[in-house]
Amino acid sequence: METIIHVQDLSKSYNADKILDIESLDIPKGQSFGLVGNNGAGKTTFFSLLLDLIPPTTGQIESKGIIVNQSEEWKPFTSSFIDESFLIGYLTAEEYFYFIGDLRNTSKAEVDELLSEFEDFFHGEILNQKKYLRDLSKGNQKKAGIVAALIGQPEIVILDEPFANLDPTTQIRLKRIIKDLSSQNHVTVLISSHDLMHVTDVCERIVVLDKGQVVKDMKTSEATLKELELYFER
Amino acid sequence: MNIKQFLSLEWKQFRRSSFFEKGLVIKILMLLAALYFASIAILAGVGVFFIFKKTLPEEDPFKMINNFLIYWVIGDLALRYFLQQLPVLNIKPMLILPIKRNAVIRFLLLKTSFSFFNILPLLFFIPLAIVIIVQGYSPFMVVLWFLSILSISFSINFLNFILNKNNPIFYGVIAFLALISGMQYFGIFDISQYLGVVFYSFYSLGYTLIIPVFLVILLFKANYRMLKKNFYVDGAVQGKKESFSNYNLEFLNKFGKLSIFLKNDIKMITRNARPKQVLLMSFFFLFYGLIFYTQDTYRDLPIVLAFASIFVTGGFLISFGQLVPSWDSEYYKLMMSQNISYKKYLESKWYLMALACAASFVLSAPYIYFGWDIFAMIAAGASFNIGLNSFITLYGGALNRVPIELNQKAKAFSNTQGFNPTQLLMSLPKLLGPMLIFYIPYKLINFNAGIIALALSGVLGLVFKSYFLNLIEKVYQKTKYKTISAFSEKK
Repeated sequence: METIIHVQDLSKSYNADKILDIESLDIPKGQSFGLVGNNGAGKTTFFSLLLDLIPPTTGQIESKGIIVNQSEEWKPFTSSFIDESFLIGYLTAEEYFYFIGDLRNTSKAEVDELLSEFEDFFHGEILNQKKYLRDLSKGNQKKAGIVAALIGQPEIVILDEPFANLDPTTQIRLKRIIKDLSSQNHVTVLISSHDLMHVTDVCERIVVLDKGQVVKDMKTSEATLKELELYFER
Repeated sequence: MNIKQFLSLEWKQFRRSSFFEKGLVIKILMLLAALYFASIAILAGVGVFFIFKKTLPEEDPFKMINNFLIYWVIGDLALRYFLQQLPVLNIKPMLILPIKRNAVIRFLLLKTSFSFFNILPLLFFIPLAIVIIVQGYSPFMVVLWFLSILSISFSINFLNFILNKNNPIFYGVIAFLALISGMQYFGIFDISQYLGVVFYSFYSLGYTLIIPVFLVILLFKANYRMLKKNFYVDGAVQGKKESFSNYNLEFLNKFGKLSIFLKNDIKMITRNARPKQVLLMSFFFLFYGLIFYTQDTYRDLPIVLAFASIFVTGGFLISFGQLVPSWDSEYYKLMMSQNISYKKYLESKWYLMALACAASFVLSAPYIYFGWDIFAMIAAGASFNIGLNSFITLYGGALNRVPIELNQKAKAFSNTQGFNPTQLLMSLPKLLGPMLIFYIPYKLINFNAGIIALALSGVLGLVFKSYFLNLIEKVYQKTKYKTISAFSEKK
């Protein structure tokens, strides 16, 4: 499989504290990639570097051969939902989806078509609500953000903690969606999670971060969950 | 929880507010501004008696002052309505702690008594009272009068919160004010005379003090009851939820790619409290010219008129533009990771500012009343605004990294958002630029040359539009990380 994301000597420090230090990491195209680790392990930092929201202290990330902090050409094929600050609070969910669609050169009709696939996922609580996103519950905001990240046929989708705040039904549906994305559409999906069970369910590969370092990198198998649980029990 | 603990929390909130985290320069400037307003209030308090005495020697100045007090009441109420909010949101964490609701509410209401809006009238009325006593009015009665005024000030304080929360009462008060000012205007019934008698009676009779005191108690109780009834997470403690409004913005589609941002910005402005405030402010700017054009002293000082003309059409452009990109601070990470070109983004903001400027220009047509030369000056000012001022303002905004809470009204004086030394420096070319561009040809040739120069400067700016936008875009790219991190800071 060809590599789509290539991390080389990447580190991020604030003052003297090194909060992320990855010597090398390759993610092949179409892989569903899971990042786990305790609070402060560097998961969100890694995603922020990948989206060029913070500058690396050393090293670089190449996304489809583009060095993300030198060119903006990665933006058309990358989409993400990190937190609520990715939502525009004064728009309704539809307006937000169309806005993202406009930015990603996707017509209203195409957005509608995509949305129709997620009727189940929305559970009737997102569309036609006559409510602004800021007035939706945390869980519903998250649903809107995740689906918005799927608009415009991205090749890389980055989701930070997608399972948190979701109800059990939605969690199960989301797992289905992520699996389909990588297996059917060959989308590279990067997710982080504190929920070991979900992440082992969904991801082909799991990387454990601890204090900014990659401490485990494994292909998911029957034994993975047990192994992760043992690791985190320490 | 006792009063001491409340006070210590308040002190921390005050000490740790963003005001004290600002740089030294800003602190000094803010202090100077506060001193400025305070000294104006004190000077006015000392001087007002003598002004009346001089202009109307045969009347009792104190009586005249009382006749005008109604305007203070209305002005104060209007100012508070727009700027002062009941700080209910702070108390959410207290709801689940073992504290009596009554204690929290009482504290909350009493706390508002110490707001800036209650202190400013004191700075005016204390010197006034002293002057009046010195002038030989009965000291005891003046004290009674002062206490009445104080009670009225507090009544305004509490009335404002009710107006903010209760629409029927709000419209009632507005209708009442419209009615009395209409009758006053058309000379049917001069209410200020009658109210003047009431205000004067606080001095002449004294015992009428009971009325305002009773009013304060009544309004305090009303607030107390209103809060107590709504003291739940889904009641007063919750921010206002606005009902959804939609309108057809398809006509903007002809702007192509730009329309994406234009449509979004229009929604942003119409659906959030803070930009709505800016919109209202810029409407008031339209009347700015009245201050200058009506005075004969300024008629012979065209440079001052040039200055005023910039503000007539530039209100929105300046107040909105200086906070680009802060308007998008709440979702800035999205904007920075999405498929967006900075230039298009900036260009759409520029269009918005230019459109607003053009609209203000159309609305300023009544200024023709003051003569075509004035109107020509406003037109030249509008040209400068669209062609140059817009870019200067956008450039200044790019250096500004203060996040904005869109749906929170700006609070007077606790809000220093968008106020920094760079901003201040950037405002110099905005203010001095047009004056110079006008003044030099005016001095060397004549009035019309000045106007033509000012108008041409705007056209010149338009010619270099692309260059300017590129320049600003570079600032954006250079400061990208700093801006992202500043915008994601918790307020």
